[in-house]
Formats: sequence, C-alpha cells, structure tokens
Amino acid sequence: MTVASTSARTGHELVRVDGLVKSFGSTRAVRGASFGIEAGEIHALCGHNGAGKSTVVKMLSGQEDPDGGEISIGGEVVDLRSRQAAQRAGVALVDQELSVVPSLSVAENLMLGDARTGWLNRARRSRRRFRALLDSVGLTHVALDRPLSSLGIGERQLVEIARALGQDARLLILDEPTATLSDVESEYVYASVRKVAATGCAILFVSHRLGEVLALCDRVTVMRDGAVVATAAADGLTVDSLIEQMLGEAPSRLDRTRAGRSGDVVLSVTGLSVPGRVHDFSISLRAGQVYAVAGQLGSGASDVLRALAGLVPAATGVVEVDGRRVRTGRPTVASAAGIAFVSNDRKTEGLFLDKPIGWNLLATRLPTLTRLGVVSRARWSRSVAELLGVCAIEPHRARDAVGSLSGGNQQKVFVGRCLHRDDVRVLLLDDPTRGVDVGGRAAIHDLLRSAATDGLAVLFSSTELEELLDLADVVVTMHKGDVVRTHVGDTAGSVLLREITHGGHDPHDPRDPHDRGVGAPAKELLS
Amino acid sequence: MNTLTVPASGATAPSRSRRRGDLATDAVVVVAVVAVLVVGLSTDRFVSYANLKAILTSASLVGIAALGLTLIMVGGAAVSLAISQTVAASGMVFLSAQSLGLVPALVLAVVCGAVVTGLQGAVVGFAAANPVVLTIAASFAITGVATGLTGGTSVSPSGTGYDVLNATPGGVPLCVFVLLALTAVVEWVLRRTGFGRSLYLGGENRRAARAAGLPVGRTTTVAWLGAGSLFAVTAAFTAAFNTAANVNLGGTLTFDAIAAVLAGGTPISGGRGSAVRTLAGAVLIAAVSDILLLRGYSTGVQIMVKGVIVLLVVVLVHLRSKGRAS
Repeated sequence: MTVASTSARTGHELVRVDGLVKSFGSTRAVRGASFGIEAGEIHALCGHNGAGKSTVVKMLSGQEDPDGGEISIGGEVVDLRSRQAAQRAGVALVDQELSVVPSLSVAENLMLGDARTGWLNRARRSRRRFRALLDSVGLTHVALDRPLSSLGIGERQLVEIARALGQDARLLILDEPTATLSDVESEYVYASVRKVAATGCAILFVSHRLGEVLALCDRVTVMRDGAVVATAAADGLTVDSLIEQMLGEAPSRLDRTRAGRSGDVVLSVTGLSVPGRVHDFSISLRAGQVYAVAGQLGSGASDVLRALAGLVPAATGVVEVDGRRVRTGRPTVASAAGIAFVSNDRKTEGLFLDKPIGWNLLATRLPTLTRLGVVSRARWSRSVAELLGVCAIEPHRARDAVGSLSGGNQQKVFVGRCLHRDDVRVLLLDDPTRGVDVGGRAAIHDLLRSAATDGLAVLFSSTELEELLDLADVVVTMHKGDVVRTHVGDTAGSVLLREITHGGHDPHDPRDPHDRGVGAPAKELLS
Repeated sequence: MNTLTVPASGATAPSRSRRRGDLATDAVVVVAVVAVLVVGLSTDRFVSYANLKAILTSASLVGIAALGLTLIMVGGAAVSLAISQTVAASGMVFLSAQSLGLVPALVLAVVCGAVVTGLQGAVVGFAAANPVVLTIAASFAITGVATGLTGGTSVSPSGTGYDVLNATPGGVPLCVFVLLALTAVVEWVLRRTGFGRSLYLGGENRRAARAAGLPVGRTTTVAWLGAGSLFAVTAAFTAAFNTAANVNLGGTLTFDAIAAVLAGGTPISGGRGSAVRTLAGAVLIAAVSDILLLRGYSTGVQIMVKGVIVLLVVVLVHLRSKGRAS
C-alpha cells in the first residue's frame, strides 16, 4: 500500500445514521447502528461476516426498509424506500458485483440509469457531462466511444464509480470495490475515491482489506453482531487493534480434540493456477480429515474448489487422486476420478428444483442404479430411503419437488447426494452453509464430519471464522490468489482473520509491525 | 459480506396453493377435452371407424417425427428446425437404396437421419451451440447437399420393397401401429433408463447437471441420434407413400412436429414432457383439423386453429409451472 492519507475532511457532518434497527425473521441483523459521515470524508465500515454491514448498506441505498431509526442527509431526515428514492436523496451505490455492460461503449454505460439523459439523448450536452465525470475519476485517457470491453477490470470499476457520481451523489457507498481487483487496479480506485472526496462528497467505504482501509480512510466504524462497536480515526488504529474490535470475545482456537485418525493421501494438488484468480496452489488431503480454504471474495478460495471440480477450463496444475493424474477442466473427468463438488450456488448450479427430492439425491449416482442402462426400481427406492435417512428428511416427501423444501433442507439434499457413494474419494464444498439457518448449519456440519469419519477427504471454503474453527482440522488461508499460511493445530481466530483480510506480512506497509514470513510451507506440513 | 444468514422462509410447503393452481389448470384441460368431444360428437360422420382411422393416420407421420423432437426438447431448451430437410434427405436415401432390399434401405435411411441429426446434437451438447441457429444452418446445408447430389430432380425408387410400408393390416395403415409401438418405446426409454433420467436432469438445469458430473454432452448427443432415427422412420413412410422423394418431401413437417409436442404440453424450456403427451398432442391437432374439415371449414381456418391450440396449451403450461414455482 503506497497510498498516503491526504484528508479532505471538512468537519461538517453530511450524513447521519441514527439507531438503525433491522430484523429478518427472528434474526436481528442490525440492532442500533449510529454513526456520522462528514462531507469530504472517506469513512470505512468494517466488521466480520454477519456483523450487519451489508444490511446497513442496503438500508442506506434503499434496498431494505429499516424497522427503526432514521437516516438524515444534509440535516434532513430522508425516507429511502426504494433505490430510486435513495438516488433522488443523493445516495449512490457501487456494488460488489460489476453492473456495467461490456458490449456497450463507455458513454452508453454512463447513460444507463441516468435520469437526465431522457428518451432522446441530447448527445452533445450529455457528452460534455460524461467527459467531466470520467475526468473526475481519473479516466482522462479513456475516450467516450471506446467499448467497455477494451478496458481492464479496474477501469471498468472506475466507470461504474463515475456513473454513480453522475447521479449527483452526496453520499457515495462503495461496497468492497476492490475485492476482485489487482493491487495496481486498486490504486486507481483509491486515487479516484480521494478525488471524489475532495469535491465534498461523503464516502462510505466497505472493505475486508484492512490494510487498505487504514491507508485510505479518515475514520473507521466497526460493527460486531449487528451493533456499532466504535468509530475512531484511522490514524490511531492498527490492523491488529481493528481485528480485536471486530472479533470481541470470538472463539479463539481450532478445536483439536476432535481430530480424527487421518489416512492416506487421497488428493494431491501441485501448482494449481487459474489466470488472474489463483496463483500456485498446492495441498495434500488425507482421508478422514476436514480441510478448509479460508478467504474473502476474490481471494481465490472458491476458484480453487471450482478448478478441482473441473469447472474452470483455464486452470493448470497437477491434480492427483489416489496417485492417479486427473485432467483439469472437465467436470465429468473430475467426477469419474471420485471428486464430488457442492457449489455455492444451489439454485443455478446445484439442485434440480422442479424435480423430486429422490431424483435430486440420486442424480450423481445414476450408473450405480442401472443394470444395462435400465433403472432398477428396487435399488432406486432403497437408495432414496437410505439417503433421506442420512439427511433426516421425512420419507413421505421423496416425491415432492426439492424446491418445496426449506433452504437448510435443500442444502442437506445437496450435500447428501455426494455421501454414501463408493466412488467418491474427495468432497469439495464451496461455502456449504451460505444462506442456511442455524439449525440447518449444525446438521450440515454433522454430515461433513461423518463423511470424513467414513474415510472421505473433505475440503470446504468458508469466510466465517466460527465455521472454520468449528469444523476444520486444517485451515489454509488465502489472500488475493495466494496461500498465506497453512494452520494445523491450535490457531487463534484473530490470526486467521488477519491473514484473510490482510494477507501475510507486507514489507512495504509501515503500519504492519509483524513479521510472519509469507507463505509458510504448506506442503511440508501436510504431506 | 454476503453470508448474512437469512432463513429462506416461504419456501416451505406452499402445497395447498400449488394444488389449487394445478386444479385450475386441470379444469381447463378437462373443459377443453370435453369441448372437443362435444363438438366432435355433434359433427356428422366424426364418430365412425373410418374417421377414427383417418385421424390416427394423419397423426401418425407427424407423430413419429414429434417423438424424436420430444427427446430433443426434454433434453433442454432446444428444438430442431431441420426436421423437414432431414426427412427429405433420409427419404431420398430410402428410395434410392431400394435395390438392396427393404431392410437395408431402411437401415441406411435411419443411419442417414441419425448421423445428420446426431452431429448437430454433439455440437449442441459438447460445445453448447445455440440449437436454433445451428439447426437453421444445418437445414440449408442438408438441402444444399441433397440438391447437389440429385441435380434437383426427384429420386425414384430403385426397387419395390418400399410398398410393404403402405400395407394396411386389418384395414389400419401400418404407420399407425408403428406410431403406437414407438410411443411405447420412447416412453419406456425416458422413464425407465438411466439415459432418460439424466436427459430430464440435464434438460431442467444444464449447469447443475454439469457440476454434478453428469455426461451432459454425451446424453444430448444420444438424444439427438435417437431423434434423427425417428425422423428417418417418418421419412421412409412418407417416401413410400409418395413413391418419389425430392427436397420438398418433408413439407411443413418441422412446424407440425413442434406444434404436436407443444400441444401435448411439453414445455420448450426442457426437463419435462413425455412420449405419451406428444402422442396426445398429435392426436388432438389431427382431431380438431378433422372436425374442421368435416364441418367444411377452409384449409386456412384449419391451420389457424392449429396455431391457436398451440398458443393455448403453451400459456396453460406456463401458468401451471408458474403456480408451481410461487
């Protein structure tokens, strides 16, 4: 991080959030959030997963109605009941996911959702305005007519920020704008954010990258369990003190008591790379053990699993199951080699929602149920009954569409279909409890543990400390596509969090007082 | 940041309202069938052995091709727009190979249909090509090759074995028996084989099937191979009936087959449908056309009503699946 803080703070409070409360069902996502943002200030919102940051952002941008509390901008209480209302009030949001259209030109992208362009675009006046917008985020070298697809990801992110500014924003919210960007691209974003702040705009910057938060932002508000813990000037904070505030009294160590007998090496991965996503990932998995790759969005954790499942054609590296080489890039090949994969996207890449529960449970083992290509009814119903038992779903529901189950039960079916199969050696799960309630979560953890006990090697990705500490025997932390470290045995939660939010030791960062050594020898520890 | 756990409520047991929605659409289906029957029964000469035979006969040639198309559509958001051309080409092969005898000619015709269609299926299955674009291109290619080889003239039979296909055992045309037999076969394959089940799964959600390690490409290719074989069966009967085959042998078969599959209630989105449904769709269209014919309506009206039937069924199927989803 070579960014220097040149604050544009004015001391004049432009945005005030007062006592915001929001519940989803019985979950209290936000319980009383209050903080203020000054004009010209870059204000960070930090917190671990589930702390309530997303919900606060959604309430500020008109995507969720608060249950209580109020938001005022420029001294006036505003009612942000829709994204349009939020835009009129001067709130602009740049979301995690890019929402620009690569096939259109830069100017056309700026025009999208721009109320002032109107039906007949008054080309000349708009163009002058668009030019000014691009200049204001530092894209002076980019012509308006260039197709967006010719720009890099970082520049596209800047176009999106420019578009948000075009809405006459008084408050600009950036929700993890750099999660998928490289360092150089991130620098562009920092520079333009500073430029924007200098115009007197209030900026709320949500990020998991704590180093960048401290270097870029003026003040930091930390949330934990739905409440604001503290708001403090960034100057007085370090990465470690920030983590301390984010975690509070969090679980502190991997629980070793459970660590089961570990068997032979089942899966060995050497030098797995996905261009732009994962760099030189190596690991050896033993039967009977649960492994985790921990990393935030853009860390490459999810890409590692997808590549091992054969879903990333561009992946390179050596993958071996039981000593036999498995060609990457073909899901049928991975599956035939004994690798079962549970995607983090249950709806579009997981279950067959309109099909019966029984069909979904057996989808991955059709060949074991047929004789000469004909399905054996006896074996079919025996297997359905067995797996319904494993998933603890009432037997009479076998013929109901799987889409009629609750999210937690759907996820159990998704995991369950990979279990009790003789041909599966490795179970990969990408964020296996995303969007699953507490009860379902415990059930899925039990399924995964028993899968390991039955002799599978289990590898999952997660961003949640509690899950990592609870479930995994070995945790590999990842940051920006690189392995930071491999943890076997006792590890403090704060160390894991530091590594996934901040990476290893950064010699260029004067704020980093620790010398941990980058990329501890993952393979030695494991094989 | 996106792992905020919100219990997925509302997804549990909407079964009562779902059933109510199903009942409503079931009621519409019953009303429609009753209406067709009432109009039919009140139409002169509708209820007669001869007329029943006529309906089945006119349903059979379209029906056999539509069975093939059913395989393609169940396998996922795909449709072949090259059916007429494939039938014309296979028909030419069938007639010009008559000198080898009936069975070898039939085998050659089936191989022709299966290879031509299976190739397209492989491209759709393995390379995820857009089936509409691909089959339009294929239809021109097939016609081009066929025209080139025949010099644009009709192919005449090189033997007389084909006439067996024009037989009418028990007074019923052979193609009616073949339609019924093939419906049973296709239905069995779809319901009872591992191939059938993976076809339904891949058809409903291709990405999920891929991630589950199902052989999506292979399954799609096999489905299209089967479809091409069935197109060729229709081709043999059509060519035998016409005793000549040129590039226009298939006529409007492409759209007639699509109409039959859709009228049977198989959705265009894939993952659903059955051979029996397609048989019902083909018979429904044939019966309504027959009624209109008997009542003296013009061909124009008949064709228009066909369109209305397809539209109504598609809307109905859509409403029904929407009721299920909500």
